Amino acid sequence: MVLLDADPFLNELTKLYEHNRDSGTVWVTLKRSTLKPHAKRKDEDSAESYRCLVRATDGKKKISASLTLKDHHRFQMAYATVLKAHMDALKKREKKDKKEKKPAAVTKS
Amino acid sequence: MVYVESWDDFLERAVVMFRADPVGTRYVMKYRHCDGKLVLKVTDDRGCLKFKTDQLQDAKKMEKMNNIFFTLMARGPDAEFVEEVSQPPTPQQPARKSRGRRQ
Repeated sequence: MVLLDADPFLNELTKLYEHNRDSGTVWVTLKRSTLKPHAKRKDEDSAESYRCLVRATDGKKKISASLTLKDHHRFQMAYATVLKAHMDALKKREKKDKKEKKPAAVTKS
Repeated sequence: MVYVESWDDFLERAVVMFRADPVGTRYVMKYRHCDGKLVLKVTDDRGCLKFKTDQLQDAKKMEKMNNIFFTLMARGPDAEFVEEVSQPPTPQQPARKSRGRRQ
């Protein structure tokens, strides 16, 4: 697992999405973590020591980044931009289709 | 594992789950470009919530959810994100009830 800073992470994430355009899947996981092993974790760990751990994989390559309070806002926006750019295989609203389908479904049932 | 049909239901239960166990809960977003499918999953290893879509309009909701979870995870489970959830539901909400197609 490669732990990256926010910006390199986003670059790598972009690459991941591009690599998996024709086939393959990309997973992105968000988790709250201190990045400490379980045993060392103390109950009195303050809320500030927690970060948002972001991991991404395509099943072969793994990347991750740990976001502090400070950079999560900026990352959030950049991340949304990356997603928007790559999730273009989703379907546009099927309003017309729906109208055509609905009566058909009714007659069937 | 059952997919939650209603987005609002999914988001609400996801946040409840996270607040119950902030450290043990993770949020996974799976995207498959060639099939144009997006699956969101929230789990604490006991319960599991999933939401599946192939609609572009749901990507916006997903973005909102990302923001909520970024905020919750970086700032703590008590963080406020009221401005993001308190938006009135969009009027076309009931219309997307029967999305017909499954796979």
